[in-house]
Formats: sequence, structure tokens, C-alpha cells
Amino acid sequence: MTWHNSPLLSVPVHAAGPGGPWAEVAAGMTRGGNACVYTTWQEWPAEPGSATALRILLGRDWARYRDTADATTRHRFLASRLAIRYTAAAALGCGPAELDLSYKPGGRPYLRGFDQIDLSLTHTDDLIAVGISRNGRIGVDTEPADRRLSFELLQDQVCTAAERAELAALGERGQNAGMLRLWTLKEAYTKALGLGLRMGFAEFGFATATGGETGLLTPDGSPATHGEWAFGTYPVAGRYLLSVACHDAGLDTSRDSSVTTMLDEGFVGMVSALLDPALPGPA
Amino acid sequence: MPAEFGGRLTRADLLVKVLRPVFRRDLALGFGSGITSLFATSAVWAAGSTAQRRATADVLLGGGRASIVHHELAHANAILRDEFAATPLAGGGFSLNGRKDVIINAARAQAYVVYARTDRARSPLSHSVLLLDPAELTAAGGLARLPRVPTAGMRGSLFSGLQFTDCEVPEGSLVGRVGEGVALALRTYQVNRCVISATAVAAAGTVLHSAVRAATTGRSRPVARRFHKPLAGVFADLLACDSMATVALRALSLLPDRTHVLAAAVKYVVPDLLRESLEELAAVLGSRGYQHGTPEYGALDKLSRDLPVAGLGHAGTAACQAVIVPQLRALAERAWFKEEEPPSELLRSGAGLPHLDYRLLGIADGGDFLAASLVGSAARLAEVRGVGGQLAVLADLAEAFVTELRALREQCRAIPQGAAALADPAWCVLSDRYALVLAAAAVLGTWEGQDGAEPFLASPAWAVLALTRIGGRLGIPVPELPDDCLGQVLEELVRRYRAGRSCDLDATELAQ
Repeated sequence: MTWHNSPLLSVPVHAAGPGGPWAEVAAGMTRGGNACVYTTWQEWPAEPGSATALRILLGRDWARYRDTADATTRHRFLASRLAIRYTAAAALGCGPAELDLSYKPGGRPYLRGFDQIDLSLTHTDDLIAVGISRNGRIGVDTEPADRRLSFELLQDQVCTAAERAELAALGERGQNAGMLRLWTLKEAYTKALGLGLRMGFAEFGFATATGGETGLLTPDGSPATHGEWAFGTYPVAGRYLLSVACHDAGLDTSRDSSVTTMLDEGFVGMVSALLDPALPGPA
Repeated sequence: MPAEFGGRLTRADLLVKVLRPVFRRDLALGFGSGITSLFATSAVWAAGSTAQRRATADVLLGGGRASIVHHELAHANAILRDEFAATPLAGGGFSLNGRKDVIINAARAQAYVVYARTDRARSPLSHSVLLLDPAELTAAGGLARLPRVPTAGMRGSLFSGLQFTDCEVPEGSLVGRVGEGVALALRTYQVNRCVISATAVAAAGTVLHSAVRAATTGRSRPVARRFHKPLAGVFADLLACDSMATVALRALSLLPDRTHVLAAAVKYVVPDLLRESLEELAAVLGSRGYQHGTPEYGALDKLSRDLPVAGLGHAGTAACQAVIVPQLRALAERAWFKEEEPPSELLRSGAGLPHLDYRLLGIADGGDFLAASLVGSAARLAEVRGVGGQLAVLADLAEAFVTELRALREQCRAIPQGAAALADPAWCVLSDRYALVLAAAAVLGTWEGQDGAEPFLASPAWAVLALTRIGGRLGIPVPELPDDCLGQVLEELVRRYRAGRSCDLDATELAQ
């Protein structure tokens, strides 16, 4: 089934471990301001480098990694954090170990000190996906494409009245596919808001018909935004569905998101010169 | 406009109190019809000649507007992109060239304050400030007004462009000295940064009111349990933001040559916290949040669009980091754990202050009175820890932030000397942690400065909740939140909602 994805979204790129292709991620960021990477945890080394190197690489996630007893769980955790770091580093023009990957009180991961990009992480089974954006919030969510979400059981929690009516008119197969798409889109959107399941899924909706681009709707089916959100749902890695929700705050941000160019030279030069008259400057 | 020149502005903190009713309704209105003119003319009040001050005063007192034309900053977005070049002319004056597309009020201002490039070299002396009269320039030729540019946020504000082509401007346009532009930007932006943050708190208060409305309307039972944390948490965050902004606004009057780094930290922390507050409230509002344009629930959608424009997004944040990062090493070496606490009038609620004087605003003094205040607060709280309850938790929290400041001191001392090294991403990470420590210091100082007239603000619950949340953002160990904290803060919030009072330190009666 084809979805009507926003042309503003970069199509998800497969990364086969630390090798990338990170240039493609950076290009997507320059071009459209967002990028999405998917990978599987087995594609990442279980123990990259020495213990010290790993500790530096993982930063504040090191303790959780160390305290995870199960080897597979540990490997998956490591792979997901590395996927975030490598993806973000591609956009920021720095090394993956140079970033302080932190978590907001609601659990949203972010890069401390670098608000030029927002990011989102999702994983299910073998798959890990990371979305990054310089235009505003981004959320990603993935589910196995064959997962069954019962329309009968879940429609009240997940669907608006308009969505229920549209899905009810479809056959079982259409309902299954529609429910899974809605679920991942709603997860992606609420994750972009940093809320996850704290936002009721029946409080907002998406068009389920295939006509027109996917857009956010109010429960009664009318448009809920002014076009600042872009949505997309993609089949990836042969057996997963990946949805992306990306906000554009409309600031027309700089295409340059590098950490090395973000501090204004004039400001830094002035402050540095005042504090240290030995430096060239106004003193 | 400052009282000294015929206006009514005496103090930045009082200005905010007057402006907040407008910002509670509409951030764009407050910007477009209010503070933009102050931001633009601040360079004139700081460094203008008598004639320039008089001309500017005439414009503003006559009901006119002034527009600020920024120079291009690192990682510029649409509002900060592009700049004008001013080439000195042989007979005096300058020739202006360039195009800039997104300038607030460009089409309807009677004065432009332009931060123009006067030196091609990339140096702190590269820019100069010019005060221009659009009517004169239009008559002389060389100035073209470009069409209005629609923006996603602050849609009610009028953004449009200007183009100068060999436009000759007289020598008397120069504000201050040639090459003083960057310094004047740094000096005057500190007022703007505090005013924007403090007025945005008021705008967010409207969203919080609408969220309480959503959680209580048509309900006879108490607020649903799942909404306790977001409602009380956001209220505590707003009080923390207001504490930080208010301390800085007061410091602009009391310690005008020492507020630079704090003002940058305020602007770094507050818009980010408010953005997250809005998102947290989206869960409480649910589908009501999509009732755009309604007086009951339209504030969330509107402020979510307006706030990024007001705060200027990443470019605005990075401009603050560019002020904080180069000071970290000096602060660690000279200020933290060494400096004296600030005068008590700074934090004491209701204490009188000197008038704000733009000429006295200094930059990069290398000091940090608020960090000193944090250490003092922690020491005083340690003495009363034995009382137990919320007070003991508050003491533990204060100590946790002092520990964080100590860790920062060690790491900042290791920053190599010289600006070239500042491109290392690690220092931006430290600036983030430092700004959050200052937010905590402001909460503690504000709590200590209460005179008891407001029992809620004098009791520790809000400060404990606010500091616990700031500690969570820092990722530092914090004590468990006492059981009664959320309930007490929520109770006050609902009380203020029912009484029609604002969600800031002032608990102002709202215009209904």
C-alpha cells in the first residue's frame, strides 16, 4: 500500500553500522532540514574499542549499559545509542563521542548544549530508527509490519470518530493496515511533542483515505494545523513500518548546523578580548 | 523609552509588569507595537548623542515606531540573516548597500537602528550602529522597501525587507563610535533578553490557565490524577523562569555592569523551558488544544507558533552561548566560590532599586553574583536542615546544585585560554549546565527573598518542585519529591485560576 508522504521529509536511509552512509544523512539535513536513519542492532559492534573508549563514547548512558546483565539487551542498547550519536554527529560535524546525549524529564533524548537539531529514537524487534531535524521537533515510531492491532478492541482508545468511521468501512486487511499506520503516526506525533502515550491517541487524528497528503486532523476530521507538520510512513528493511512526524517552526533555519561555527565570532571575540586583554580585539 | 529622555521607563522589571497584560493576550502585539521600538532605540539611549536622543524621543513620543535592523549572526535564521554594509565616504557619512528580507516593522517605522558592517575583516570591531530616518532616505533615493514576508509565528507582526543601493547617509547617523556595533549589541541585548523571557512567561501563563480550565471545566470531582504532574510541574517551571528573569531584570538596575552573563543564561534557559511547558500542557488540553482561535483554548496553538519567533530559535540560543562560553574559564578561576553575595535588595521582594541606565550596562565583567548567592543560600539552608520536611529537601537540593557548580568549576578551569579553542563542543555542553545552575540559584534566591506576604511563595513547596525538575534536566541526583509538594502547588494553581490571578511571582489580578 502506498501512503501519501510529505515531500518535505527525507526518505529514511539504511545505515549498516558505524560506516553510515553519513554523508547522505548530512545531505538530507542540508537539503530539507531533516533526516531519518534505520538500522538493526546486529549491524553494530557489541564492544567497539576498549572499555575506556566505550565509556567515553556512551557518556551518561555508560552506567545503564554497565548495569545491564543480559548481553543481547546490552548490545541492543549500545547499538541504539551509537545510532543516535553517529546520526547526530553527521549533522553537527563532530565526533560521536563529543556529544552529551541527555534526556528531558519526559524521557525525550536531546543533545545538551546543541539545540540546532532535535532528535527521536524508536526501536522494535531488530530495528532501530533515529530521526533528526533542524526545523523543529521530530518524532519517529516503528512497528513490525505484520503486527496485528485489533480494530475491534482498540478503536476507542486509538481512533477519532472520523477515523473509526473510515476504517469501519474497510475490510479486515484494510483495517489492520490502517490501524498500524495510524498507531505509528500517532506515536511519532506524540513523541515529537515529547509526550508519548501521555497524550490521548483519540484526541487527534489523521486521514485514513489515501487521497491527499497525510495531515493532522481534529477529532471531528477538520484540519488541526496550518501546514507546519510533515508526516510520512515508510516500509523499511522488508518487514517494518516506520512513521515520521516533523514540525517546522518556520524560522527558515541556517543550513549550517555544525558545532564549530555556531558561536558568533564577533560576540566571542569581543567577550574574549575584554576578559583577556592579551588577545587581539577592542582593548 | 527612559524617563530621563521624556518617556516613562524607569526600571526593566517594572516595564515587564506593565507589558505583561499585553503579552498574556498576544505576544505578537507586544512585540510589534511595543518592545521592538525599545529594543531598536536602546543603542541610542546607551551611546547616542544628545541630538540623536532628542530625535529618537520625538519619534517615539509622537507615537512613531523604531525598527531594529540586526547584523547577521552565526547560524542565522530568516530574521538574523543578511546585513547591510556601510562604506565611509570621503566627505563624511556612509554609503549603505545590501538587502535584508525579514525585519519587523520595516514598513511602518519612523526610525531604523541599523547594525551595519563597517569593516570587512571578521573582528569584534566590524560593525557600527546607524540611526536612520526612512523619510529622509526615501526622499534622497537609494532605499527600497520590499514586500511583506509572511511568518509562521507572530503572524500579526509586520515583517518586510529593505534594500539599500549606494544610499548616502550623513555622518550624524553614527551612534557611538565606528566599530562599536558588536559591543553595543552585547550591551543592549541583555535588556532585551530579559524582557523577552519575562514577557514570554506571561504568555505561557495564559496557556497554563487554559489547561487548568480544560482539567476542571464540567467536573465536580478534583483534577484527574494524571494531570497533577504536568499542571503543577509547569506552574513550578513558570515560577522558576520568572525567578530567573526577575532577578536579571532587577540586576540590570542594581548591578548594570555585572548582569551580562546572567542575562544570556536567562534567554538560554527560559524559552526552552517554556517550549517544553507548552508541550506538556498539550497532553492536558488534548483535543481542546486544537480549538484554534477560541478564547478558552486557543492560546496553546498561538504561543506554540509565536514563541520560536520571539526566542529566535537556535540562532538566538547560540548567540547567548557565544556570550557564556568565553566567560566560563574566567568565572571558574575568579568568581565561583570566591565572589561576595549580591546586595540584599536584588532578591528581596518589593525592595526599591535605582533607575535602569543604558549607559551603565557593561559586558563580560568576569563575575557571577548569582552563583555566590547559590552558595550562600545552600549554607543558610544547611543550618535549618534539622527542621526536616520540605525544608530539609530544599537544603539537599541546594547542596546538589552547589556540588554541580563545584564540578563545573573543575571542568571549566580546564578550558584552554584563547578563543580558538572555544569551537570544542564540550564547552557548549558546560554552558548548558551552567545556565541551569543559575536557574536553580535564582529559584533559591527568590524563595529566600520572600517577605511572607505571599504564604505560598514563602513556603518551600514550589521551590522544591522547581529545583527537582531543574535537577532532573541536569541529570544530577536529587532527593525524592516529598508527597505533599505536587498537591500544594496544584492547589495554589487552581486557586489562582479560580481567582483570575496570573501564574507568576506577582499573582496579578488578570484583566478578564
